[in-house]
Amino acid sequence: MPQHRANQLVEAGLWLRLSGDSDGAARLFDRALQLDPDNGRARDLMAQLQSRLGATDDARAGEGPPLAGLEGDWGAWAEVTAPEPGDPLFVPDAVLLPDGVGAPKDALDLLARDHRRHEGEPVRVGRGPGSELDVLLRGAEDLLELDDHSGAVDLLRRAQELAPEEPRVEALRDRSERTLIAMLEAKLGDLGHVPRVRLRPDDIIWLNLDHRAGFVLAQIDGTVSYDDLFSLSGMTRLDTARILAQLLDEGVIVAG
Amino acid sequence: MAESEPLIGIDLGTTNSIVATVQDGQPVVIKNRTGQALTPSVVAVAKNGKRLVGSIAKRQAITNPQETVYAAKRLIGRKFSSHPVQDALRTLAYQVVCGQHDDVRVRLAGRDLAVPEVSAMILQELKADAEAHFGRPVSKAVITVPAYFNDGQRQATKDAGRIAGLEVLRIINEPTAAALAYGFGRTVNGKIAVLDLGGGTCDVSVLEVNNGVFDVVATGGDTFLGGEDWDNRIIEWLVFGFAKEHGIDLRKDRMALQRLKDAAEKGKVELSSVRETQVSLPFICTPPGGGAALHLQAALTRDKLEDLSADLCERVVGITSEVLGEAKVRPSELKEVILVGGMSRMPRIVEQVRQYFRREPCKGVHPEEVVALGAAIQAHALVAQQGELLLLDVTPQSLGVAIAGGYVRRLIPKNTTVPTSATETFATSKDSQRVVKIMVLQGEHDLAHQNELLGEFLLTGLRDAPRGKVEIDVTFDINAEGIVSVSAKDRETGQRQSIIVAASGGLTEEELRRIMDEQRDWLVAARASEEVKARRVELDTLARDVVDALTRARLLPGGLGPDVVPRAEQALEHARHVRAGEEPAAMARAVALLAQCLTQLRGGPPRATPGG
Repeated sequence: MPQHRANQLVEAGLWLRLSGDSDGAARLFDRALQLDPDNGRARDLMAQLQSRLGATDDARAGEGPPLAGLEGDWGAWAEVTAPEPGDPLFVPDAVLLPDGVGAPKDALDLLARDHRRHEGEPVRVGRGPGSELDVLLRGAEDLLELDDHSGAVDLLRRAQELAPEEPRVEALRDRSERTLIAMLEAKLGDLGHVPRVRLRPDDIIWLNLDHRAGFVLAQIDGTVSYDDLFSLSGMTRLDTARILAQLLDEGVIVAG
Repeated sequence: MAESEPLIGIDLGTTNSIVATVQDGQPVVIKNRTGQALTPSVVAVAKNGKRLVGSIAKRQAITNPQETVYAAKRLIGRKFSSHPVQDALRTLAYQVVCGQHDDVRVRLAGRDLAVPEVSAMILQELKADAEAHFGRPVSKAVITVPAYFNDGQRQATKDAGRIAGLEVLRIINEPTAAALAYGFGRTVNGKIAVLDLGGGTCDVSVLEVNNGVFDVVATGGDTFLGGEDWDNRIIEWLVFGFAKEHGIDLRKDRMALQRLKDAAEKGKVELSSVRETQVSLPFICTPPGGGAALHLQAALTRDKLEDLSADLCERVVGITSEVLGEAKVRPSELKEVILVGGMSRMPRIVEQVRQYFRREPCKGVHPEEVVALGAAIQAHALVAQQGELLLLDVTPQSLGVAIAGGYVRRLIPKNTTVPTSATETFATSKDSQRVVKIMVLQGEHDLAHQNELLGEFLLTGLRDAPRGKVEIDVTFDINAEGIVSVSAKDRETGQRQSIIVAASGGLTEEELRRIMDEQRDWLVAARASEEVKARRVELDTLARDVVDALTRARLLPGGLGPDVVPRAEQALEHARHVRAGEEPAAMARAVALLAQCLTQLRGGPPRATPGG
């Protein structure tokens, strides 16, 4: 089973990388390699990430003090390097982590608990300190401080399932979703642009997409804009933006 | 010399709509802003609250069924309680409710809309496409309707045009428009048949053309037979094949079903010109319990499609035979047969029609465009006063009164040119009858209750006499606007009662004005929203350039004034704040400010901020 767990860790690492948490992603790829030293995908991804982080560090070192006005809502503009096409693909919704990974009480641990829960482990629901809701909220706040809005949204969705009426959950989720959407939309660029599929149909079937990404991809026919895709996907804006950003990141589509 | 105002002809269809015009003497179709001739007659409010019209609305119809209105034409101008509406309700996924006057209302995004309001959204889209084509406003149009539409349905279509900001010059019959497009007003004297097989309906009409006058002598069909039925056969075949292979029913997944529907329609269209097509739907579904998404791959041949839909093709021939039988017209009597509608491209249909009529049917390269082209020709002729092409305004259905025994006495037959007038004398049907009830009816059925009741009134104070001894003159007057006035006069006493019946599309004038005001407000808001969107893009582009220029300025600061960098940072911060808002004017100022900062960062002289 270590190979299976390692693969799950790679998936989760890719997930974190999309949400901008490169350090977290590197940590997971490292763990995957510890479990399965022959995992080529983990090794390649780790190498890519390290070269990218190195390039970033070098760039930062050359720039001197941190630049004011380059962070925050402008999102992708502030990125020093954009993700390269041709990276292995991932499925955003299928983040499953094995038992016993991640530092206690961090976001990854909570995601792992989500996995355990599916396997039937009883959970304690409540609002007091130490309750699952509280842990989720603290985890989400930690991730938000680290600008990991994607991870925070996942935790807050879980939290909202537990306490649908909780205003703190609602407010946090709203905030993190809005920020995440803004980041993903910035990655897409002008939403009036019409994206095109770069790959031939024969190549598309070899991608690793889920049916929702398949649906969005099928709508991209050279006539509909990103804005239109948000309308016709039938999914939330966040889910659609995630899929489009993923397709763009992986070089499946290009902005027109 | 001032350019003449552009005129358009609109085929407002059940499934698709088309707009056309006459340009340099030639009728041409105006493509929509996505480059297509056909605009699906679908209106929706997406889950993000955006109003969608046309292909984009159609493409999300299955994933958002409650908020997507299609086939509004089946409902326009009809009473909620009528049979056709109650039949249609069984097939519609969106919610339809009863209005205050037994009219039909469609519930869309929590609002109850009158059907003409929905049709107006489609007309507005076509109008906008025409305006984009001409580069100037368009306000005059001829719109086509099925030959069987009554006055109420025609009036409701006119109301839709008014709501959309169009002056409807004339409403003409679809088969007549098709015949006009083929120039049959000039070249044919005699009977012609028009078989219109569209996306959702199959209409068969027989026209008598006589020196440019078109008379609809028979019309009929099936309002629930069209291209969508062929699509459904393909979908069933694909679903069955996939279930056999993977044990999964794709119909249960809305996203899969939407893709199947799109693929089925595409495959069907392709098979009109090729013998085999590939259906490829990668990642169509994720198996229950997870795992890699599955692909659907299938090869569909023309023979297979014909096999799947043989009964549908036979129904088309059956309907045609029925309509001709009712009109007592033999196929050999027909001078021409015209095929209209996208579905009539199917080779099997063409073959069956050829066999039935024993003649080659007229089918242009684009059979779905001929009705709109005919409407455009008529719009042009109306303004250019080309007498030989001018269709006269006629009563679409017969008008009469109810008589004893539950029958109808027709005073004005259908296709009578308006204005017109007719008087007939009636007598009392009972001894000592002191009151007669005049029921004004429209329709072709001999039984009174099978026709539409336009209005009724009583003529009282008749003298006491045996039946048949009191004579009453009933007069129908129809003016040029189609308003019918009916009067009844006691011949002996001269006592008179009357009623005025104006065709109603289901909306009162007050409601119509309110809807028109709302539409105007919506258009203003939509334009403002477009402006905000455009300004945001402008801001984003400029801000990216400023961020780049700032980076360079920090690395190589020489030559810049001491306040240039902080000023640019401040401008960026301001732009960020303004971008989050909805104020186009503030965005325009922020754009100007950023542009100024960019010039300074690039070493240029400071410039005055436009407008600031």
